[in-house]
Amino acid sequence: MKLAVISCIHGNLEALDAVLSDIDRQQVEQIYCLGDLVGYGPYPNEVVEKIRSLDIPICQGCWDEDIVEGLNACECSYPSQLSEKRGRLAHEWTNQVIHPEVRDYLAQLPMTLKQQNLSFVHGSPNSQHEYLLPSMDGFAALERVLSAGADVLFCGHTHVPYVRELENAVLTVTVQQPGQADAQQQFTAPLKRIVNAGSVGEPRHGRPNATYVLYDADTTQVALREVPYDYQKTCAAIVDRGLPAIFAWRLAQGMEFAERADDPSHVCQR
Amino acid sequence: MTAPTVIVVAGPSGSGKTTWITQTLKEHAETCFYLYPGLGEMPVDLARIGYCYPWVQVLPESQIPLLQVLPKEVVVFLEIGFHLDLQLPVLSALSYHRVAVLPPGCPQSEWHEWADEIIPGNAIAAPDPANLPQLWCTALTGQVFDPPSLDEVLIEITEGAYGNVHRLKGIFELPDGRAFYIDFVQGLEGIEYRELPIPRWLEGRPDRPSGIEVVGWQLDQTAIAQALLDGYLSAAAIDHYQQQYKTLNLEEEPAIR
Repeated sequence: MKLAVISCIHGNLEALDAVLSDIDRQQVEQIYCLGDLVGYGPYPNEVVEKIRSLDIPICQGCWDEDIVEGLNACECSYPSQLSEKRGRLAHEWTNQVIHPEVRDYLAQLPMTLKQQNLSFVHGSPNSQHEYLLPSMDGFAALERVLSAGADVLFCGHTHVPYVRELENAVLTVTVQQPGQADAQQQFTAPLKRIVNAGSVGEPRHGRPNATYVLYDADTTQVALREVPYDYQKTCAAIVDRGLPAIFAWRLAQGMEFAERADDPSHVCQR
Repeated sequence: MTAPTVIVVAGPSGSGKTTWITQTLKEHAETCFYLYPGLGEMPVDLARIGYCYPWVQVLPESQIPLLQVLPKEVVVFLEIGFHLDLQLPVLSALSYHRVAVLPPGCPQSEWHEWADEIIPGNAIAAPDPANLPQLWCTALTGQVFDPPSLDEVLIEITEGAYGNVHRLKGIFELPDGRAFYIDFVQGLEGIEYRELPIPRWLEGRPDRPSGIEVVGWQLDQTAIAQALLDGYLSAAAIDHYQQQYKTLNLEEEPAIR
Protein backbone atom coordinates (compact mmCIF):
# COMPACT_ATOMS: atom_id res chain seq x y z
CA MET A 1 0.00 0.00 0.00
CA LYS A 2 1.37 3.37 -1.01
CA LEU A 3 0.72 6.36 1.25
CA ALA A 4 1.30 10.08 0.92
CA VAL A 5 1.82 12.07 4.10
CA ILE A 6 1.41 15.83 4.05
CA SER A 7 1.76 18.36 6.85
CA CYS A 8 1.90 22.03 7.79
CA ILE A 9 -0.13 23.57 4.98
CA HIS A 10 -0.64 26.86 6.83
CA GLY A 11 -3.31 28.37 4.63
CA ASN A 12 -1.25 28.05 1.46
CA LEU A 13 -3.80 26.83 -1.08
CA GLU A 14 -1.48 27.15 -4.10
CA ALA A 15 1.05 24.84 -2.46
CA LEU A 16 -1.65 22.36 -1.42
CA ASP A 17 -3.07 22.16 -4.94
CA ALA A 18 0.40 21.58 -6.38
CA VAL A 19 1.11 18.79 -3.89
CA LEU A 20 -2.27 17.12 -4.48
CA SER A 21 -1.57 17.18 -8.23
CA ASP A 22 1.82 15.61 -7.64
CA ILE A 23 0.25 12.95 -5.41
CA ASP A 24 -2.26 12.18 -8.17
CA ARG A 25 0.64 11.16 -10.40
CA GLN A 26 2.17 8.79 -7.83
CA GLN A 27 -0.56 6.09 -7.69
CA VAL A 28 -1.15 6.71 -4.01
CA GLU A 29 -3.89 4.78 -2.25
CA GLN A 30 -4.24 6.90 0.86
CA ILE A 31 -3.27 10.40 1.94
CA TYR A 32 -2.71 11.31 5.59
CA CYS A 33 -2.42 14.86 6.86
CA LEU A 34 -0.51 15.80 10.01
CA GLY A 35 -2.28 19.07 10.70
CA ASP A 36 -1.50 22.77 10.82
CA LEU A 37 -3.98 23.60 8.11
CA VAL A 38 -4.17 27.23 9.24
CA GLY A 39 -1.91 30.03 10.44
CA TYR A 40 0.39 32.50 8.62
CA GLY A 41 -1.06 31.82 5.16
CA PRO A 42 -3.86 33.71 3.40
CA TYR A 43 -6.38 30.90 2.75
CA PRO A 44 -7.15 29.04 6.01
CA ASN A 45 -10.84 28.39 5.26
CA GLU A 46 -10.17 27.26 1.71
CA VAL A 47 -7.44 24.84 2.77
CA VAL A 48 -9.67 23.26 5.42
CA GLU A 49 -12.53 22.94 2.93
CA LYS A 50 -10.24 21.26 0.42
CA ILE A 51 -8.94 18.72 2.94
CA ARG A 52 -12.48 18.02 4.16
CA SER A 53 -13.84 17.62 0.65
CA LEU A 54 -11.22 14.98 -0.09
CA ASP A 55 -11.98 13.15 3.17
CA ILE A 56 -8.32 13.00 4.08
CA PRO A 57 -7.62 11.57 7.57
CA ILE A 58 -5.98 14.30 9.61
CA CYS A 59 -4.62 14.84 13.09
CA GLN A 60 -4.65 18.17 14.86
CA GLY A 61 -1.69 20.52 14.53
CA CYS A 62 -0.55 23.14 17.02
CA TRP A 63 -1.99 25.99 14.97
CA ASP A 64 -5.28 24.14 14.60
CA GLU A 65 -5.38 23.74 18.37
CA ASP A 66 -4.44 27.36 19.00
CA ILE A 67 -7.23 28.63 16.81
CA VAL A 68 -9.64 26.59 18.90
CA GLU A 69 -8.14 26.90 22.37
CA GLY A 70 -6.30 30.22 22.11
CA LEU A 71 -2.57 30.81 22.40
CA ASN A 72 -1.08 29.04 25.37
CA ALA A 73 2.06 27.46 24.00
CA CYS A 74 5.20 26.99 26.02
CA GLU A 75 8.39 28.75 25.03
CA CYS A 76 9.31 26.18 22.38
CA SER A 77 6.75 27.63 20.02
CA TYR A 78 8.66 30.86 19.60
CA PRO A 79 12.43 31.03 19.77
CA SER A 80 12.54 34.82 19.72
CA GLN A 81 10.51 37.80 20.79
CA LEU A 82 10.26 38.88 17.16
CA SER A 83 8.82 35.56 16.01
CA GLU A 84 6.41 35.54 18.92
CA LYS A 85 5.05 38.96 17.95
CA ARG A 86 4.69 37.84 14.35
CA GLY A 87 3.06 34.61 15.43
CA ARG A 88 0.53 36.59 17.44
CA LEU A 89 -0.24 38.76 14.41
CA ALA A 90 -0.82 35.66 12.32
CA HIS A 91 -2.98 34.11 15.03
CA GLU A 92 -5.11 37.24 15.43
CA TRP A 93 -5.60 37.56 11.66
CA THR A 94 -6.56 33.90 11.31
CA ASN A 95 -8.82 34.10 14.34
CA GLN A 96 -10.74 36.95 12.68
CA VAL A 97 -11.23 35.35 9.27
CA ILE A 98 -11.84 31.73 10.24
CA HIS A 99 -15.41 30.49 9.69
CA PRO A 100 -17.26 29.01 12.69
CA GLU A 101 -17.75 25.64 10.99
CA VAL A 102 -14.04 25.50 10.17
CA ARG A 103 -13.18 26.15 13.80
CA ASP A 104 -15.61 23.41 14.83
CA TYR A 105 -13.98 21.01 12.40
CA LEU A 106 -10.50 21.79 13.73
CA ALA A 107 -11.73 21.33 17.30
CA GLN A 108 -12.75 17.71 16.78
CA LEU A 109 -9.54 16.53 15.10
CA PRO A 110 -7.70 13.69 16.89
CA MET A 111 -4.15 14.15 18.16
CA THR A 112 -2.98 10.83 16.73
CA LEU A 113 -3.86 8.57 13.84
CA LYS A 114 -2.87 4.91 13.65
CA GLN A 115 -2.73 2.40 10.86
CA GLN A 116 -1.26 -0.96 11.84
CA ASN A 117 2.40 -0.30 12.72
CA LEU A 118 2.28 3.32 11.54
CA SER A 119 1.49 6.27 13.75
CA PHE A 120 0.76 9.81 12.60
CA VAL A 121 1.16 12.89 14.81
CA HIS A 122 1.77 16.57 14.23
CA GLY A 123 4.62 17.29 16.65
CA SER A 124 5.17 14.25 18.83
CA PRO A 125 2.99 11.66 20.58
CA ASN A 126 3.25 13.91 23.67
CA SER A 127 2.06 17.16 22.18
CA GLN A 128 1.28 18.96 18.93
CA HIS A 129 3.76 21.58 20.10
CA GLU A 130 6.78 19.36 20.70
CA TYR A 131 9.49 19.29 18.06
CA LEU A 132 11.08 16.01 17.07
CA LEU A 133 14.22 17.52 15.58
CA PRO A 134 16.61 15.24 13.70
CA SER A 135 19.33 16.04 16.23
CA MET A 136 17.17 15.05 19.20
CA ASP A 137 18.82 12.68 21.67
CA GLY A 138 18.48 9.11 20.40
CA PHE A 139 17.02 7.74 23.61
CA ALA A 140 14.34 10.44 23.72
CA ALA A 141 13.55 9.91 20.05
CA LEU A 142 13.19 6.17 20.58
CA GLU A 143 10.96 6.76 23.60
CA ARG A 144 8.62 8.88 21.45
CA VAL A 145 8.29 6.14 18.82
CA LEU A 146 7.79 3.40 21.43
CA SER A 147 5.18 5.47 23.26
CA ALA A 148 3.22 5.68 20.01
CA GLY A 149 3.28 1.89 19.73
CA ALA A 150 4.57 2.18 16.19
CA ASP A 151 7.42 1.04 14.01
CA VAL A 152 7.20 4.17 11.92
CA LEU A 153 6.24 7.50 13.44
CA PHE A 154 5.22 10.18 10.94
CA CYS A 155 5.47 13.75 12.18
CA GLY A 156 5.69 17.31 10.90
CA HIS A 157 5.96 20.60 12.80
CA THR A 158 9.69 21.25 12.14
CA HIS A 159 9.02 22.18 8.49
CA VAL A 160 12.19 20.41 7.41
CA PRO A 161 11.67 16.87 6.09
CA TYR A 162 13.89 14.04 7.24
CA VAL A 163 14.04 10.30 7.83
CA ARG A 164 15.69 9.05 11.00
CA GLU A 165 16.39 5.38 11.58
CA LEU A 166 16.77 4.20 15.14
CA GLU A 167 18.53 0.87 14.84
CA ASN A 168 20.58 -1.33 17.12
CA ALA A 169 19.10 0.49 20.08
CA VAL A 170 20.24 -1.23 23.28
CA LEU A 171 18.73 -0.15 26.58
CA THR A 172 20.56 -1.16 29.74
CA VAL A 173 18.60 -1.24 32.99
CA THR A 174 20.09 -1.73 36.45
CA VAL A 175 17.73 -3.56 38.80
CA GLN A 176 18.31 -2.94 42.51
CA GLN A 177 16.61 -5.16 45.10
CA PRO A 178 17.16 -5.26 48.87
CA GLY A 179 19.61 -7.92 49.87
CA GLN A 180 20.60 -8.71 46.32
CA ALA A 181 23.41 -7.59 44.08
CA ASP A 182 22.52 -5.12 41.36
CA ALA A 183 21.51 -6.88 38.17
CA GLN A 184 21.81 -5.41 34.74
CA GLN A 185 19.35 -6.27 32.00
CA GLN A 186 19.58 -5.32 28.38
CA PHE A 187 16.80 -4.82 25.87
CA THR A 188 17.25 -4.45 22.17
CA ALA A 189 14.64 -2.41 20.32
CA PRO A 190 13.85 -3.41 16.76
CA LEU A 191 14.39 -0.92 13.96
CA LYS A 192 12.19 2.14 14.40
CA ARG A 193 11.83 5.12 12.15
CA ILE A 194 10.79 8.73 12.42
CA VAL A 195 9.66 10.25 9.13
CA ASN A 196 9.14 13.98 9.03
CA ALA A 197 6.95 15.14 6.15
CA GLY A 198 8.29 18.69 6.06
CA SER A 199 5.82 21.39 5.14
CA VAL A 200 3.49 21.89 2.21
CA GLY A 201 2.85 25.59 2.73
CA GLU A 202 5.58 27.03 4.89
CA PRO A 203 8.93 25.44 4.05
CA ARG A 204 12.04 25.98 6.04
CA HIS A 205 14.60 24.28 3.88
CA GLY A 206 15.90 27.31 2.01
CA ARG A 207 13.64 27.03 -1.04
CA PRO A 208 9.98 27.94 -1.42
CA ASN A 209 9.01 24.50 -2.75
CA ALA A 210 6.45 22.38 -0.93
CA THR A 211 7.55 19.07 0.59
CA TYR A 212 5.76 15.86 1.55
CA VAL A 213 6.60 12.15 1.76
CA LEU A 214 5.57 8.95 0.03
CA TYR A 215 5.66 5.70 1.99
CA ASP A 216 5.33 2.22 0.58
CA ALA A 217 4.02 0.03 3.40
CA ASP A 218 4.99 -3.14 1.51
CA THR A 219 8.63 -2.27 0.88
CA THR A 220 8.95 0.29 3.76
CA GLN A 221 10.56 2.64 1.25
CA VAL A 222 10.31 6.35 1.99
CA ALA A 223 10.59 9.06 -0.67
CA LEU A 224 10.82 12.75 0.20
CA ARG A 225 9.10 14.83 -2.48
CA GLU A 226 9.80 18.49 -3.22
CA VAL A 227 7.20 20.20 -5.38
CA PRO A 228 7.70 23.59 -7.06
CA TYR A 229 4.61 25.79 -7.37
CA ASP A 230 3.75 29.40 -8.10
CA TYR A 231 4.63 30.70 -4.66
CA GLN A 232 4.46 34.27 -5.91
CA LYS A 233 0.68 33.91 -6.05
CA THR A 234 0.66 33.06 -2.36
CA CYS A 235 3.04 35.94 -1.63
CA ALA A 236 0.72 38.36 -3.43
CA ALA A 237 -2.29 36.99 -1.54
CA ILE A 238 -0.47 37.41 1.78
CA VAL A 239 -0.03 41.11 1.10
CA ASP A 240 -3.46 41.58 -0.51
CA ARG A 241 -5.27 40.02 2.42
CA GLY A 242 -3.52 42.20 4.98
CA LEU A 243 -0.96 39.86 6.46
CA PRO A 244 2.53 41.29 7.14
CA ALA A 245 4.63 41.62 3.97
CA ILE A 246 7.58 40.00 5.74
CA PHE A 247 5.63 36.70 5.66
CA ALA A 248 5.67 36.85 1.85
CA TRP A 249 9.38 37.57 1.75
CA ARG A 250 10.18 34.71 4.11
CA LEU A 251 7.98 32.29 2.15
CA ALA A 252 9.83 33.22 -1.04
CA GLN A 253 13.16 32.49 0.68
CA GLY A 254 12.05 29.15 2.09
CA MET A 255 12.70 30.59 5.54
CA GLU A 256 9.32 29.89 7.14
CA PHE A 257 7.11 32.83 7.99
CA ALA A 258 8.30 33.56 11.47
CA GLU A 259 8.80 30.45 13.50
CA ARG A 260 11.68 28.07 13.89
CA ALA A 261 12.95 25.56 16.41
CA ASP A 262 16.58 25.25 17.28
CA ASP A 263 16.82 23.47 20.60
CA PRO A 264 16.70 19.69 20.16
CA SER A 265 16.94 19.08 23.89
CA HIS A 266 13.89 21.12 24.79
CA VAL A 267 10.98 19.08 26.12
CA CYS A 268 7.69 20.82 25.49
CA GLN A 269 5.93 21.74 28.75
CA ARG A 270 2.56 22.53 27.27
CA MET B 1 47.93 80.82 14.04
CA THR B 2 47.62 77.16 14.93
CA ALA B 3 47.17 74.52 12.25
CA PRO B 4 46.70 70.89 13.22
CA THR B 5 47.42 68.11 10.79
CA VAL B 6 44.05 67.34 9.22
CA ILE B 7 43.51 64.18 7.19
CA VAL B 8 40.17 64.04 5.39
CA VAL B 9 39.08 60.60 4.25
CA ALA B 10 36.36 60.01 1.68
CA GLY B 11 35.10 57.22 -0.54
CA PRO B 12 32.05 55.14 -1.34
CA SER B 13 30.07 53.29 1.29
CA GLY B 14 31.81 50.09 2.38
CA SER B 15 35.14 50.91 0.73
CA GLY B 16 37.02 50.74 4.04
CA LYS B 17 37.45 54.36 5.10
CA THR B 18 37.08 53.75 8.82
CA THR B 19 39.24 50.66 8.63
CA TRP B 20 42.03 52.68 7.03
CA ILE B 21 41.65 55.37 9.68
CA THR B 22 41.85 52.87 12.54
CA GLN B 23 44.99 51.35 11.04
CA THR B 24 46.55 54.77 10.57
CA LEU B 25 45.60 55.99 14.04
CA LYS B 26 48.01 53.48 15.55
CA GLU B 27 50.93 55.06 13.71
CA HIS B 28 50.44 58.42 15.41
CA ALA B 29 51.91 59.18 18.82
CA GLU B 30 50.27 62.60 18.83
CA THR B 31 46.85 63.28 20.27
CA CYS B 32 44.32 62.20 17.67
CA PHE B 33 40.85 63.49 17.02
CA TYR B 34 38.16 61.79 14.95
CA LEU B 35 35.11 63.40 13.39
CA TYR B 36 32.32 62.07 11.22
CA PRO B 37 29.94 64.90 10.28
CA GLY B 38 26.53 64.56 8.72
CA LEU B 39 25.13 61.61 10.67
CA GLY B 40 23.88 63.22 13.85
CA GLU B 41 25.45 63.54 17.26
CA MET B 42 26.90 60.08 17.62
CA PRO B 43 27.20 58.04 14.44
CA VAL B 44 28.14 54.36 14.73
CA ASP B 45 31.76 54.85 13.67
CA LEU B 46 32.30 57.70 16.08
CA ALA B 47 30.98 55.60 18.95
CA ARG B 48 32.99 52.57 17.88
CA ILE B 49 36.26 54.49 17.67
CA GLY B 50 35.53 56.01 21.06
CA TYR B 51 35.00 52.51 22.51
CA CYS B 52 37.89 50.74 20.76
CA TYR B 53 40.53 53.49 20.81
CA PRO B 54 40.01 55.37 24.06
CA TRP B 55 43.09 57.53 23.50
CA VAL B 56 41.36 59.08 20.48
CA GLN B 57 39.19 62.11 21.12
CA VAL B 58 35.94 61.73 19.23
CA LEU B 59 34.14 64.95 18.42
CA PRO B 60 30.37 64.80 18.03
CA GLU B 61 28.66 66.92 15.39
CA SER B 62 27.98 69.84 17.71
CA GLN B 63 31.69 70.19 18.51
CA ILE B 64 32.96 70.22 14.95
CA PRO B 65 33.58 74.01 15.07
CA LEU B 66 36.35 73.20 17.58
CA LEU B 67 38.28 72.01 14.57
CA GLN B 68 39.16 75.63 13.88
CA VAL B 69 40.93 76.10 17.21
CA LEU B 70 42.76 72.84 17.79
CA PRO B 71 46.50 73.14 18.48
CA LYS B 72 49.00 72.26 15.80
CA GLU B 73 50.34 69.28 17.77
CA VAL B 74 47.29 67.15 17.16
CA VAL B 75 46.23 64.98 14.25
CA VAL B 76 42.63 65.14 13.08
CA PHE B 77 40.93 62.46 11.05
CA LEU B 78 37.71 63.61 9.44
CA GLU B 79 35.63 61.08 7.57
CA ILE B 80 33.25 62.17 4.84
CA GLY B 81 30.41 59.79 4.12
CA PHE B 82 29.40 59.05 0.54
CA HIS B 83 26.28 61.13 1.05
CA LEU B 84 28.12 64.40 1.74
CA ASP B 85 29.64 66.98 -0.60
CA LEU B 86 33.42 66.69 -0.61
CA GLN B 87 33.74 70.46 -0.13
CA LEU B 88 32.61 70.69 3.49
CA PRO B 89 32.18 74.31 4.69
CA VAL B 90 33.91 73.47 7.97
CA LEU B 91 37.07 72.70 6.02
CA SER B 92 37.10 75.84 3.92
CA ALA B 93 39.59 77.73 6.11
CA LEU B 94 41.85 74.74 6.72
CA SER B 95 44.69 73.13 4.91
CA TYR B 96 44.29 69.36 4.84
CA HIS B 97 45.43 66.14 3.23
CA ARG B 98 42.80 64.40 1.08
CA VAL B 99 42.68 60.60 1.13
CA ALA B 100 40.22 58.65 -1.00
CA VAL B 101 39.67 54.97 -0.14
CA LEU B 102 38.34 53.39 -3.31
CA PRO B 103 37.53 49.88 -4.46
CA PRO B 104 40.01 48.43 -6.95
CA GLY B 105 38.91 49.17 -10.49
CA CYS B 106 36.77 52.11 -9.46
CA PRO B 107 36.28 54.20 -12.63
CA GLN B 108 37.32 57.85 -12.73
CA SER B 109 35.21 59.74 -10.22
CA GLU B 110 34.98 62.92 -8.21
CA TRP B 111 36.98 61.17 -5.49
CA HIS B 112 39.88 60.72 -7.94
CA GLU B 113 39.81 64.41 -8.84
CA TRP B 114 39.56 65.48 -5.22
CA ALA B 115 42.17 63.23 -3.58
CA ASP B 116 45.85 63.86 -2.88
CA GLU B 117 46.27 60.16 -2.17
CA ILE B 118 44.26 57.13 -3.22
CA ILE B 119 44.19 54.03 -1.02
CA PRO B 120 42.96 50.74 -2.49
CA GLY B 121 40.02 49.61 -0.38
CA ASN B 122 37.61 46.69 -0.20
CA ALA B 123 36.89 44.77 -3.40
CA ILE B 124 33.27 45.84 -3.69
CA ALA B 125 31.29 46.93 -6.73
CA ALA B 126 32.13 50.43 -7.89
CA PRO B 127 29.36 52.91 -7.10
CA ASP B 128 27.11 54.23 -9.85
CA PRO B 129 27.05 58.03 -9.52
CA ALA B 130 23.68 58.09 -11.28
CA ASN B 131 22.13 55.72 -8.74
CA LEU B 132 23.54 56.49 -5.35
CA PRO B 133 21.99 54.58 -2.44
CA GLN B 134 19.89 55.97 0.40
CA LEU B 135 21.14 56.17 3.95
CA TRP B 136 18.92 55.38 6.93
CA CYS B 137 20.18 55.62 10.48
CA THR B 138 18.79 55.78 13.96
CA ALA B 139 20.16 55.93 17.47
CA LEU B 140 19.49 52.88 19.63
CA THR B 141 20.91 54.21 22.87
CA GLY B 142 19.11 52.67 25.84
CA GLN B 143 17.70 49.77 23.84
CA VAL B 144 18.68 46.18 24.63
CA PHE B 145 17.95 43.44 22.11
CA ASP B 146 16.58 39.97 22.42
CA PRO B 147 19.57 38.19 20.80
CA PRO B 148 17.68 35.73 18.54
CA SER B 149 15.40 38.55 17.39
CA LEU B 150 18.42 40.67 16.53
CA ASP B 151 19.93 37.80 14.56
CA GLU B 152 16.72 37.36 12.63
CA VAL B 153 16.34 41.07 11.85
CA LEU B 154 19.94 41.33 10.67
CA ILE B 155 19.46 38.35 8.35
CA GLU B 156 16.30 39.88 6.97
CA ILE B 157 17.85 43.30 6.42
CA THR B 158 21.05 42.05 4.81
CA GLU B 159 19.29 39.46 2.64
CA GLY B 160 16.92 42.01 1.15
CA ALA B 161 13.62 41.78 3.02
CA TYR B 162 13.39 45.55 3.33
CA GLY B 163 15.15 46.69 0.16
CA ASN B 164 18.46 46.13 -1.57
CA VAL B 165 20.97 46.69 1.22
CA HIS B 166 24.55 47.55 0.37
CA ARG B 167 25.83 48.25 3.85
CA LEU B 168 24.76 47.79 7.44
CA LYS B 169 26.69 48.70 10.53
CA GLY B 170 25.59 49.10 14.06
CA ILE B 171 26.29 48.88 17.74
CA PHE B 172 23.84 46.71 19.65
CA GLU B 173 23.42 46.10 23.36
CA LEU B 174 22.62 42.59 24.61
CA PRO B 175 20.99 41.51 27.87
CA ASP B 176 24.19 40.03 29.28
CA GLY B 177 25.63 43.54 29.33
CA ARG B 178 27.88 43.18 26.32
CA ALA B 179 27.75 45.44 23.27
CA PHE B 180 28.61 44.27 19.76
CA TYR B 181 29.73 46.08 16.64
CA ILE B 182 28.12 44.46 13.62
CA ASP B 183 29.22 45.17 10.07
CA PHE B 184 27.94 43.96 6.70
CA VAL B 185 29.12 45.03 3.25
CA GLN B 186 27.48 43.61 0.14
CA GLY B 187 30.14 41.76 -1.83
CA LEU B 188 32.22 40.87 1.22
CA GLU B 189 31.75 37.57 2.96
CA GLY B 190 29.43 37.23 5.94
CA ILE B 191 28.46 39.59 8.72
CA GLU B 192 31.17 40.67 11.16
CA TYR B 193 30.25 40.47 14.85
CA ARG B 194 32.80 42.02 17.18
CA GLU B 195 32.40 42.40 20.92
CA LEU B 196 33.34 45.91 21.97
CA PRO B 197 36.02 46.26 24.67
CA ILE B 198 33.80 48.00 27.19
CA PRO B 199 32.47 46.92 30.59
CA ARG B 200 29.27 44.91 30.78
CA TRP B 201 26.27 47.10 31.49
CA LEU B 202 24.14 45.32 34.07
CA GLU B 203 22.29 48.19 35.73
CA GLY B 204 19.21 49.14 33.74
CA ARG B 205 19.12 50.55 30.25
CA PRO B 206 22.64 51.27 28.93
CA ASP B 207 23.39 54.96 28.95
CA ARG B 208 26.04 54.82 26.25
CA PRO B 209 25.82 55.28 22.47
CA SER B 210 24.49 52.59 20.18
CA GLY B 211 22.80 52.82 16.81
CA ILE B 212 22.37 51.44 13.31
CA GLU B 213 23.10 52.71 9.80
CA VAL B 214 21.73 51.06 6.67
CA VAL B 215 22.75 52.01 3.14
CA GLY B 216 20.81 50.70 0.16
CA TRP B 217 18.12 51.18 -2.42
CA GLN B 218 14.31 51.13 -2.01
CA LEU B 219 14.68 50.81 1.73
CA ASP B 220 11.43 50.23 3.60
CA GLN B 221 12.50 52.32 6.55
CA THR B 222 9.24 51.92 8.45
CA ALA B 223 9.42 48.14 8.24
CA ILE B 224 13.07 48.09 9.36
CA ALA B 225 12.22 50.29 12.32
CA GLN B 226 9.26 48.06 13.24
CA ALA B 227 11.36 44.88 13.03
CA LEU B 228 14.01 46.43 15.29
CA LEU B 229 11.32 47.64 17.68
CA ASP B 230 9.91 44.11 17.92
CA GLY B 231 13.32 42.93 19.13
CA TYR B 232 13.67 45.50 21.94
CA LEU B 233 13.45 44.02 25.41
CA SER B 234 11.12 45.60 27.94
CA ALA B 235 12.51 47.20 31.09
CA ALA B 236 11.19 44.24 33.09
CA ALA B 237 12.90 41.73 30.78
CA ILE B 238 16.18 43.67 30.90
CA ASP B 239 16.05 43.69 34.69
CA HIS B 240 15.24 39.97 34.76
CA TYR B 241 18.21 39.08 32.57
CA GLN B 242 20.59 41.44 34.36
CA GLN B 243 19.73 39.94 37.74
CA GLN B 244 20.48 36.49 36.35
CA TYR B 245 23.77 37.53 34.79
CA LYS B 246 24.86 39.27 37.97
CA THR B 247 24.07 36.13 39.93
CA LEU B 248 25.98 33.99 37.50
CA ASN B 249 28.97 36.27 37.99
CA LEU B 250 29.99 35.55 34.41
CA GLU B 251 33.17 37.56 34.55
CA GLU B 252 35.16 39.37 37.17
CA GLU B 253 35.33 42.57 35.17
CA PRO B 254 33.52 45.46 36.86
CA ALA B 255 30.08 46.38 35.56
CA ILE B 256 29.16 50.02 35.04
CA ARG B 257 26.99 51.34 37.86
